Amino acid sequence: MTCEEFERVLPELGSGHSIEQEEHLKSCRACSDLVADLNAISRQGRLLQGSEEPSPWVWNSIETSLRQEGLIHQPLQEHSLLHPPRLSWRLRWLVPAAAALLIVFGVLLHERGTGPAPTAEQQSPPASVQTAEVMASDDMQLLNTVGARMPSMRDAYEANLRTVNAYIRDAEQSAHSDPNDEVAQQYLRNAYEQKAMVYEMALDRSLP
Amino acid sequence: MQQKQRIATWSVVMILVVAALAAAQTTRKEMHFKVGRRASVSIVNQYGPISVKPGPGKRVAVTAIMYSSKVEIDQTKRGNRVSVLSHLLEGADADSGRVDYEVLVPADASVTLHSTTGPLHVEKLHGDVILEGSTAVVDVRDVNAGHVHIKTLNGPVTLTNVSDGYVEITSVSGDVALNAVNGAQVHVNSSSGKIRYDGDFGQAGQYSLTSHSGDIEAIAPSYASIEVVARSVQGKVENDFPLQPEHTSFVARAGSAFAGTVGQAASSVKLLSFSGKIHLKKREQ
Repeated sequence: MTCEEFERVLPELGSGHSIEQEEHLKSCRACSDLVADLNAISRQGRLLQGSEEPSPWVWNSIETSLRQEGLIHQPLQEHSLLHPPRLSWRLRWLVPAAAALLIVFGVLLHERGTGPAPTAEQQSPPASVQTAEVMASDDMQLLNTVGARMPSMRDAYEANLRTVNAYIRDAEQSAHSDPNDEVAQQYLRNAYEQKAMVYEMALDRSLP
Repeated sequence: MQQKQRIATWSVVMILVVAALAAAQTTRKEMHFKVGRRASVSIVNQYGPISVKPGPGKRVAVTAIMYSSKVEIDQTKRGNRVSVLSHLLEGADADSGRVDYEVLVPADASVTLHSTTGPLHVEKLHGDVILEGSTAVVDVRDVNAGHVHIKTLNGPVTLTNVSDGYVEITSVSGDVALNAVNGAQVHVNSSSGKIRYDGDFGQAGQYSLTSHSGDIEAIAPSYASIEVVARSVQGKVENDFPLQPEHTSFVARAGSAFAGTVGQAASSVKLLSFSGKIHLKKREQ
C-alpha cells in the first residue's frame, strides 16, 4: 500500500485498521505520525465535546454552507456527511476547522468583492448606515435608562445624541474618503469622544 | 383714612406670613471641614447650583439650601478629601430635589463639581477644576495654574481670566466662550455649539478649537505670536491676519482652509470645523 492509497482511505478509518493498513503504518513514518496526530487531536476534541456540543442545527447549517460553497459534495451514502452520529469520530475535529475556514473564506470574499472595486464614496454610506443602525439600538437603551432615572433629561439626551451621531456620520464619511487625512481622523476621534462623554454622563453612577 | 392704614398693615402682615411660610419650607445646612494643603473637594448635586469661591484658612465651608424633605445631604471627609452628595429620596424631582450650594475652599484646593442642571460657578482658585453638568451653565473665572476640565451636553461654558492652565472642554451643543484664556494646552471639542476665543494665545501653548457644525471665532491682537491652521470641510474660513505661509499636510484652499504663522509663532493654534464657519479676527485696538 502506498502513502497516497492510505491517505485516500484515511477519512473512512474507524477505530481499527486492516492488515494492509497496519503494515503500511509500521513501515511508513510519515503516515504513522499523521495518524498519531489525528488521534491526539481527536482525544482533545472529545474532552470538549460533552459540554460544548453544538445543536444538530449548527452542524446542518455548516454542512449546507460548505456544500453551497462547493467545498464538499453530496456523499455517496445516504447519511449526512457532517452529522455527528454518522461521522467518523476521527474526522469530527475537521468540522470546526472547516467552519473557521469558511468564515475566513467568507470574509476574504466579502473584502475582495466579485465586481470592480467600489470607490471610497460608494463604500462609505453603507458603513455609516450600518454604524448608525447599530448605535440606534444602543442609543435607545441609553435613553430608556435616562428616562427611567431622570425623566426631565430624556429630551436633552436625545437631542444631543442625534447631534453627536450626525457628527460621527460626517466624520466617518470624511475619514473614509481620505484615510490619510490627519484632520479627518481628528474629527472622528472628537466625534467619538463626544459620544463617549454622553454615555458616561448618562450612566454616571455617582449621580443618584 | 384709618381704613386705608388698616388695609396696608394687613397687607404687610400677609406678605410677612407668606414669606415666613416659604422660608419654613427651605432648610439650610452648614458643614465645615478642616483640611490641609491641596485638598480635594467634590460636590455632587443632581438639581441646583453650585458656587465655589476661595475662603479664609485651611477649611472647607459648605452651605446647602434644600427645598424639600425629599433630599438629604451626605457628607464624608477622609484625609484631605471632602465629599458632599445630594441624596435624592423617593419621589424627588427637579423642584423638590433641588439643593443650592455655596462652598468656600482654600484657594489651592482641587474641586470636582457635578450637577445636571447647574449652574456651576468657580472663581479665584489655583487648583484643578473638574466640572460636569448636562444642561448646566458653567462659569469659571480668575483661575490659574491648574487643570480645568469641563464637560456639558448643552450647557454653555464661559471661561474668563484663566491662565497657565491645562484647559479641556467638551460640550455637545453648548456654546463655549474663552476670554483671556491661555495655557500650555487649551482644547475645546464641540459638536454644534459655537466656540469663541478672545485672547492672545499666550506663549508656547497648544490650542485646538474643534467643532462639527458650530462656528468658530478666534479674536487675537495684532501682536499675537501663533502658528495657525484653520480648515472647514463644508464651511467658510476667514482670516484677518497677514500670514507667513508654511507647509501643511493638506492643501490650503482659499475660502475653506488657511495656514501660516504670525510673529514668532510661539503658540500653535488649530481651528477645525466640519461645516461651521471659522473666522480668525484681529482685535480692534
